[in-house]
Amino acid sequence: MGIKSLALNHIEKGSHMDNQEAKFILNAYRPGGQDASDPRFAEALAQARRDPVLERWFSESIAFDAAMTENLRAIEVPNDLRESILVGVKISRPLRWTSPIVRWAIAAAVLAAAIVGSLTLRETIRPRLSGWQTQSLRTVTSLVDGRSNFDAQSHRASQLVNWLQTNQAPVASKLPKNLESLESLGCKTFLWNQELVSVICFARPDGGLIHLVITKASAVSDRELKGEPQLVQHGEWATATWREGDKVYMLALEGPREKLRTYLL
Amino acid sequence: MSATDFQQLVDGQYAPLYRFAVSLSKSEADAADLTQQTFFLWATKGHQLRDRTKAKSWLFTALYREFLGQRRHEVRFPKIELDEVREEEMSILPNVNALDSAAVLEALREVEEPFRAPLTLFYLKQFSYQEIAEVLEVPIGTVMSRLSRGKALLRQRLLSKEEVLGNKVVGFESHRKGESHG
Repeated sequence: MGIKSLALNHIEKGSHMDNQEAKFILNAYRPGGQDASDPRFAEALAQARRDPVLERWFSESIAFDAAMTENLRAIEVPNDLRESILVGVKISRPLRWTSPIVRWAIAAAVLAAAIVGSLTLRETIRPRLSGWQTQSLRTVTSLVDGRSNFDAQSHRASQLVNWLQTNQAPVASKLPKNLESLESLGCKTFLWNQELVSVICFARPDGGLIHLVITKASAVSDRELKGEPQLVQHGEWATATWREGDKVYMLALEGPREKLRTYLL
Repeated sequence: MSATDFQQLVDGQYAPLYRFAVSLSKSEADAADLTQQTFFLWATKGHQLRDRTKAKSWLFTALYREFLGQRRHEVRFPKIELDEVREEEMSILPNVNALDSAAVLEALREVEEPFRAPLTLFYLKQFSYQEIAEVLEVPIGTVMSRLSRGKALLRQRLLSKEEVLGNKVVGFESHRKGESHG
């Protein structure tokens, strides 16, 4: 019979305890700890008091445990972890826009995009779009016309990227250069083929919006995707889709693809 | 939960959570990420917890589940029952004066994960062994078994490091000769 079963039998039946069983139980004992007064330890402690060999082992064992506790508690915690947690959680909640001008400008851009988007989406999404692309544009449209909310909002894309990373959502290893200078609005994720898809929305200087969509290449069936962006005009929507490493990217805006091209530089 | 309450929760728990995470993870960066992710989970799901006195247990359970989830595709360690522990493994202790945090952490990380988690929680003294069972979602007997086996494995790892470094090993074989069993 093993030590484990011996000890459990003892606890259940109250039978006589030997040193092997006592050691098994005392290994879970911490003097002064939360369970120091737990009756399960009483007989094992009594046995240790009776038997000098067991008492010696117990004393050494407690010293070993105390050293382990001391050393574990001495492990340094990164200096910036606390701030990182507090700031990270803060940006995962909807933010209040600090500037009324920015707030109204963004509201106007979103409203304009919503009107245009809702009028044109049905006509503009052609069968040439893959399922994940169609779903991405539906998600964007749903965001701009207020039928759904961003998962996280921030004017700084880097904060959104951090949020997505923390939530195991795919992110770009590097944003296209001309997107980096844009103010972001927020991000949202959805599932496609059991993989997360990330959508980040940016405000363009001309008042329109542009959206970056990222997912794992394994989640999409389009094997024709290449490293070079493929620009396609779908009615009012211009999309650029490409593959980089194990991820696929789509950049989308409502406007001519020439405008989209400027953000791929 | 207000921002102040949340900050108090972070202040009270982020360090022990990180130390638990760092024993589970293979790197400090992974541990920080795991700790941060745990508080994100709290921010999104913590409101579902009615008994706020259970927040600490909730956080440790969430962190452990998150860790298990992240490595669910990794090769699992074979199950090792306590019966396989050799008596001599339980009777030789390393020289505790020669230990430091780095050596303890290194040895702890070499202990198989099923034993490492209860060991770390035991040494951090954040929970009773019954609460450890709740956090890890295993029976009390399993916690005791894993503590016993885990300590033996940890001593082994520390002893092997001492042997490499030439430190003195404190043995108890001589004392065991007169040991009674009952």
